[in-house]
Amino acid sequence: MFSKETLTVTRRTALLGATALLTLPRIGLAQAAPVDGGRLILIARPEPATLGLGLNLQAPTIYVGGKIFESLLTYSSDLAPMPSLATSWSISEDGLTYRFELRQNATWHDGTPFTSADVVFTADDMMRSSHPRWKLLAETYVERIEADGDFAVVFTLKEPFSAFIYAFELSSLPIMAKHVYEGTDYRTNPANNAPIGTGPFKFVSWNRGQSIELERYEDYWDETPAHLDQVTFLVIPDAASRETAFEQQIVDVLRPGDVEGFVARRLSEADDVIMTTMGEEFYAPHAFIQMNLRKPPFNNLKIRQAVMHAVDREFISNNIWFGMASPATGPVSSRTAFYEPDVTPYPFDIEKARGLVADSGLSGDDLKVTLTPLPYGQQWDRTAEYIAQQLTQAGLDVSIRGVDVSGWAQALSTWEFDLALNYTYQYAHPALGVARHYLSSNIIQGTPAANNEGYSDPEVDRLFAEAANSVDTEETQRLYSEAQKRLVDDVALGWIFEMRSPTIYRDTTNEVVTSAIGVMDTMKATWKAA
Amino acid sequence: MKNILKNTSLAIGLALLALILVIAVFAHVFYPVSPWQSAATPLLEPFSQSGLPLGSDMLGRDVAAGIAYGARVSLTVGVVSTIISVTLGVTIGAVAGFYGGVLDNLLMRFTELFQTVPQFAMAVVFVAIFSPSLVTIVLAISLVSWPPVARLVRGEVMSLKSREFVKAGIVLGESESGLIFRHILPNAVSPIVVMASLMVATAILTESALSFLGLGDRNMISWGYMIGASRTMLRDAWWLSVFPGLAIVVTVVAVNLIGEGFEKALNPQAHGERKA
Amino acid sequence: MTYKIFLTRLGNGLLVLLGVAIMNFTLVHMAPGDPAMIFAGEAGGGDETYVEQLRQDMGLDKPLVTQFAIYAGDLLRGDLGYSFRNQRDVASMIVERIPATLLLTMTAFGIALIIGIVFGMLGGWFRNTLLDRGLMIVTLVLYATPLFWLAMMFVLLFSVRLGWFPPFGMQSVLVPDAPLDRLLDIGRHLVLPAFSLGLFYAATYARLVRASVINVSNADFVKTARAKGVPGGRILRVHVLRNAILPVFSLASVHIGQLVGGAVLTETVFAWPGIGRLMFDAILQRDYPVILGVFLTTGLLVILVNIVTDLLYRIVDPRIEHTAGN
Repeated sequence: MFSKETLTVTRRTALLGATALLTLPRIGLAQAAPVDGGRLILIARPEPATLGLGLNLQAPTIYVGGKIFESLLTYSSDLAPMPSLATSWSISEDGLTYRFELRQNATWHDGTPFTSADVVFTADDMMRSSHPRWKLLAETYVERIEADGDFAVVFTLKEPFSAFIYAFELSSLPIMAKHVYEGTDYRTNPANNAPIGTGPFKFVSWNRGQSIELERYEDYWDETPAHLDQVTFLVIPDAASRETAFEQQIVDVLRPGDVEGFVARRLSEADDVIMTTMGEEFYAPHAFIQMNLRKPPFNNLKIRQAVMHAVDREFISNNIWFGMASPATGPVSSRTAFYEPDVTPYPFDIEKARGLVADSGLSGDDLKVTLTPLPYGQQWDRTAEYIAQQLTQAGLDVSIRGVDVSGWAQALSTWEFDLALNYTYQYAHPALGVARHYLSSNIIQGTPAANNEGYSDPEVDRLFAEAANSVDTEETQRLYSEAQKRLVDDVALGWIFEMRSPTIYRDTTNEVVTSAIGVMDTMKATWKAA
Repeated sequence: MKNILKNTSLAIGLALLALILVIAVFAHVFYPVSPWQSAATPLLEPFSQSGLPLGSDMLGRDVAAGIAYGARVSLTVGVVSTIISVTLGVTIGAVAGFYGGVLDNLLMRFTELFQTVPQFAMAVVFVAIFSPSLVTIVLAISLVSWPPVARLVRGEVMSLKSREFVKAGIVLGESESGLIFRHILPNAVSPIVVMASLMVATAILTESALSFLGLGDRNMISWGYMIGASRTMLRDAWWLSVFPGLAIVVTVVAVNLIGEGFEKALNPQAHGERKA
Repeated sequence: MTYKIFLTRLGNGLLVLLGVAIMNFTLVHMAPGDPAMIFAGEAGGGDETYVEQLRQDMGLDKPLVTQFAIYAGDLLRGDLGYSFRNQRDVASMIVERIPATLLLTMTAFGIALIIGIVFGMLGGWFRNTLLDRGLMIVTLVLYATPLFWLAMMFVLLFSVRLGWFPPFGMQSVLVPDAPLDRLLDIGRHLVLPAFSLGLFYAATYARLVRASVINVSNADFVKTARAKGVPGGRILRVHVLRNAILPVFSLASVHIGQLVGGAVLTETVFAWPGIGRLMFDAILQRDYPVILGVFLTTGLLVILVNIVTDLLYRIVDPRIEHTAGN
């Protein structure tokens, strides 16, 4: 059952080969055997608040923590599960039982052996209380989690859920040490600032405001431990300095977002620099305009259609994101399973947008809206300014609200917005990263990653629910395709682009992006030419 | 000799400021299209296309238009926040200086409180917390810049209070507010004017710094914002941050020259009166 | 006598600090953002029970007055609170940042004093010459240049183009082992941030010193000294300098607070691991205990500096010089 699904995914990815080829890393010099030793220097941006992975799911925590912690699985760039702390796994015919065989020689960085008890503690106790995504998943689908001996774990589901195999990625379920956390207040445990994991690198020191040091864990479970001696994360809050740091060869790798598209393009023009947009397939960040459907003008379909026509998604992708983005067509990323390309298109047509606004029957104060931008840097700022200008031309009266990250999160979490920019991770499967934005049961406050727009359609609810429970791939595809068509016709959100964020490094650094989570992964295979 | 000197700084300052003022007031005449609107190909160098003397930015927006509209923000923030903080400072300083005693002590502790907190940091917190807009920026700048005025006015009032003409007023039964407004404050005007003109300069710099940090009014283009927005492009598109930076320097120089001119023009007079 | 004044000043200072605590506590809690909700949002979202749990953990579910009472009680015990976000003690977060900020601001202050005094003395002594005019124009422009813009231009010129100084940070990645090399390494990193922070104040002091040099040179005791035939250089050093620097001292105490404020910008542009950046990050994250802690710490710093300059002022009091001159 499972292999079939993988096949579909692979075929779809092959179709996209044309785009992928353009961005495939240029292969470096003659591929010699990996060299051991050396220090890899990366950037922590912004400085993580904590390294307690699972308690904080912000990108810098995952970036640093990803070298220290592991989950049961990791995923190849075509989204096939690969072993990590689990050596193998099996799914029962009825789709209700997931069994994982675990590494028998893995140890925590303090020397304590890793066992099934750690997995059960993490999945059934710690993450159930502190990881909002896992909590929701576990409460909805998981009947029980049990150890079978010291090195096997069995998850039994309440109902079939085919996306469950994607729930074992690093940031979705990082395995934490039972002997460190059990019986403590997880959030104030000192290990959050001096983490103990099972990964290829162990924590050495954290010089606040400056750097975080990791070193190779010699007793790692893999017979070949990490190639690098050390991994250093420098704290560089300023974008221009990050660019200089890479140019002056202070820093080896720039992860997506460390520099903006404009700079990425220029840096990659150097002969010895490699740029790739691979390594984000699992997250497939998807950007959209969130419209508050609860009130005028966005409770009016014509206005929502006008928004889609007024915004030139090609222009945004090419001129604002400098090609590090690709126009989106609907709720599911073309890199995620079950993408449906055949949906109503909304070509750029400002005249049509104007006509739709005029036809909407709305005028005056009803057309007065605020846009809450996403305060994540220059490119997002430009995107907001461009969208505001375009919508003004279409006949809306748009003003931009000045917010910082907290203000943005607050506006979305409490539904106090008209228009807002947002993006979401898809987590490889619509049931994990997509449905949450449209299910009427997920119209909740307190998070910017739910159905904040207030979309409600019983038919879409049904389609998503059935698709999630289906164990038949073709049936699943049919259900998801129908859901996507309905959502696009309704313009539930204004999808703008799929991010194609670049990872940049010098050709002396090898094996930087090896999986669907790219640089977030352990980097145990990464090595530097001597 | 002295007269010429004082007149040059004042004259140059006033001329520069008048020019900036004209650009600000007539920005919509020079550039009828919104400065946020794309006008050309992105990233054109200065003078590479007629009608775009300062080039275009990454969205093809006219840099010169941005600078013209940005003058509005700088001047508005500079003047309005100074008026508010001078009003606040004069009121608190005059009351403290005139009544003295416990009230003076309380007000001065209050003033010290605001001087103890790092001003710029305080402005950042205020604007960030109450969300950035022209109003919050003006209020934040006013909030952190009144204490020196209060101290100055208090000092002046205290020294003028014991002067004969004030004592005469008291004997003649003038009301307290009459004394403060008719007799004391007019005599303290010159140092206040000098201080106020310097405050306009500081306010313009503070606004640009706030906008640079992304805490500007997102609907009004401002110089600090333009610099912040093109910061990562400095090496490839120098004109995007150099011109707005020069605009700030020129404006602040103009305001400072005026302040200096005032000081030279007003101080001798004030000195004369003090000695009288 | 001095001892008693010192105690009064200290008492006043503590009173002001209490005011700072109340004022900022009120200010940050008037903020519309709910830190618990923001925290939940960044953690990937959560339902209402999750947010409510966070609110309790953060102590935000209690009435504001109770929250302040708890906070004030902690302060009295020298406890600046706990940053839930960073899962650390606020005091230790601040303490580890103080050396970097002190190093930066004190160097900048030193640069400002030296340049300011030299420029001011030259301008004042050779007033209305070409040199004076030139210096006046330089200081006028420096005084009008936004700190962040100057910093950007410095990096572009001295780091990117010329490669003389590192563009950011306080230390190299591979910190040299030898203490002297280490010091040199930090010194090289310090140059650009310290100059970009210090030059604005240098301009201020230059103008101030110039004005007071002119003022003092016209004073009777200098005229007397000149009439007595004391050489010009000696007059400049002995009589004018000491008196001309006094106003700088009194201004300096006000500037300490400003320098820390300016450090917010400098430390952000140069990735300097000081209090200013800690503060800016805390603002963006709505980390209230840290914001309050930084305000209190810098407030305390300003008060202490004020007291010290006050004492210094007494030591170099102009009246003493005056009587000696006569």
